Amino acid sequence: MQQEWSDIVLDAIRDVGHRLLVVTPRLLAALTLILLGWAVAALVRRVALRIMSAADLDARCVRWGLSGALGRSGHRLSPTELVGRLVYWAIFLVGLLMAVEALEMPGTRGAVGTLLAFLPHVIVAVLVVVGGWMLAQFLAQGVLIAAVNAQVAGASLLAAAVRWLVLTVAAAVALTELGVAREMVLLVFGIAFGGAVLALSLAFGLGARELARQALESYLNRAREDRGQPVSHV
Amino acid sequence: MGDGLTLAAVLPPDGAASVEALGPVEALVAVTALNQAHTAGGVVDTVAAGLARGFAGRKAAVLFVDGGSQDGTFEGVSQRPVDGGAVPVASARVAGRPGRGRAVLAALAAARHVGARAASVVDAGLVSLAPESVEILLAPALGGDADYVSPVYDRALTDGTLTTNLLGPLVRALFGKRLQEVLGGCAGVSAALLDTLPPAEEWDDEPTGQGAEMRLLGQALTRQHAVVEVHLGRKQLDPGVAPTDLAHTLVDAVGPLFRLMERDPGTWQDVRGSVPVPRRGHAGSMAPPAGDVRPDRMVRAFHLGLKDLLPLWEQALSDETLGQLYPLGLLGPDDFRFPPPLWARVVVDFAVAHHERRLPRDHLLRALTPLYLGRIAAFVLETQAGSSPGGADALERVGSAFEAEKSVLSARWR
Repeated sequence: MQQEWSDIVLDAIRDVGHRLLVVTPRLLAALTLILLGWAVAALVRRVALRIMSAADLDARCVRWGLSGALGRSGHRLSPTELVGRLVYWAIFLVGLLMAVEALEMPGTRGAVGTLLAFLPHVIVAVLVVVGGWMLAQFLAQGVLIAAVNAQVAGASLLAAAVRWLVLTVAAAVALTELGVAREMVLLVFGIAFGGAVLALSLAFGLGARELARQALESYLNRAREDRGQPVSHV
Repeated sequence: MGDGLTLAAVLPPDGAASVEALGPVEALVAVTALNQAHTAGGVVDTVAAGLARGFAGRKAAVLFVDGGSQDGTFEGVSQRPVDGGAVPVASARVAGRPGRGRAVLAALAAARHVGARAASVVDAGLVSLAPESVEILLAPALGGDADYVSPVYDRALTDGTLTTNLLGPLVRALFGKRLQEVLGGCAGVSAALLDTLPPAEEWDDEPTGQGAEMRLLGQALTRQHAVVEVHLGRKQLDPGVAPTDLAHTLVDAVGPLFRLMERDPGTWQDVRGSVPVPRRGHAGSMAPPAGDVRPDRMVRAFHLGLKDLLPLWEQALSDETLGQLYPLGLLGPDDFRFPPPLWARVVVDFAVAHHERRLPRDHLLRALTPLYLGRIAAFVLETQAGSSPGGADALERVGSAFEAEKSVLSARWR
């Protein structure tokens, strides 16, 4: 009885010891990878910041209108700092994934490979969203100015419609790139966009026919008045 | 001849050959065009008649330069029957992207190439140009009295409001010279000025619009060349089929001046005060009457801008300027006012915003339109109520306001 008890205890200790012997190097490897990821991320961030400062990225972004656009979207960071943080977290995330892989936990085997294989799609989707957002801002601004200069009432509404149209298209393209319910996204986008255009056409053509006539008349009258104004500018 | 602006850099071989065929020329008048088929031929004839009358026995020539017209302007002028007059007429067409500025550049290079002592560049839409005006434009440069000859016109107060309320006062504040016209549709230049012009590749940002003329004026003013003004009577400029919407005009005319400021700030930052430019000839006995302008639509445009473009103006204008603009939104068309000092501050804010690229430049200049219309509405009301002949007081107030803002502009320019 006593022999049996001691065998069980010793077996348990041996088992735990064996497991610890197997797990400890993995834990140490995971910790090392996390630390390495952090160190590399911090180093690359610092180098990137120096390169961007030397290239005067912040001033260039002001000239290209990116800083203004970032500010309007609520970002308080400078472009240099923003890129630095993105670089830092991207590298640190890779380190974390490698650490998880090193632990060889059930269900995580191949996770890094899968995630890295998916990374190009994520990058493309992010670029599409960022590009779409910038294009939306630019076009909406252009439409707003043109509409105000043409003295169109509701210019802000028109600009907002253009902004959201471009953003919706960009979001649909990004989701398709990520493979998120590809067919459903295309279908929903097609139905929503087509429906909105049809609804607007019907509303304007049937419900607001008189309004459309008045708007056109008003526009043509204004153009006639402008031609009649004896003002030359240059 | 040094490097500078060379013919080969601005004209294709056939165009350069046409210029070469003229041989050495003492006085060259270049008529530049872009899609101005219905006026170009007439202006070329006027110039040829003017040269035949004023330069008999001297070597003078007309050069027609087309900036890449799509409406048959070049064919219409170059294939016309020559009437056998004493003045040779050559034609050339710039290659590549169409642009009136490129035609002006080619005209200047051609004048330098043929060794002209004096040259004149005339817009093909300047239908009011009289034959005798050609000699008037060339004489100061030929006589060695001036390097840049700027036209002065008899104009109604409602004519050239962008020039009288923005371009002229800003040039006055920047360079200390009071010019009536900034983009007058024609100008005379001397060989000395032609020789200082930079090479063609440095004009690359001014291929279209009125950038080349502005650059030429800037070269004359910043290099301390002698400038005179000459009276040319009334002005009538036919823009042809070029876009004429106001926002486009602002981009086309104000943009080059803002870029000129950027090119060499050292040449204008320390200039204070201004002097009148020597003027030759006499104004007409009676200035044309001002048209019956109704400012109500301009005021409405200003109000609409204040309502919808405020987020954009906030990026261009200082808080102080915005604070002074808000109350103007409460004024109706009858009592509307936009004081010259506030207008000068608005223009300075936009110039700085343009320099710092706070918005896409095209958007920024177009966003100035409602503010400009507000200022013109106020200007019309001021001059209708004023008593000075030709609205001289009102014009002087604008010029002085810009001069007063100069120190602010210089301090903010980094």
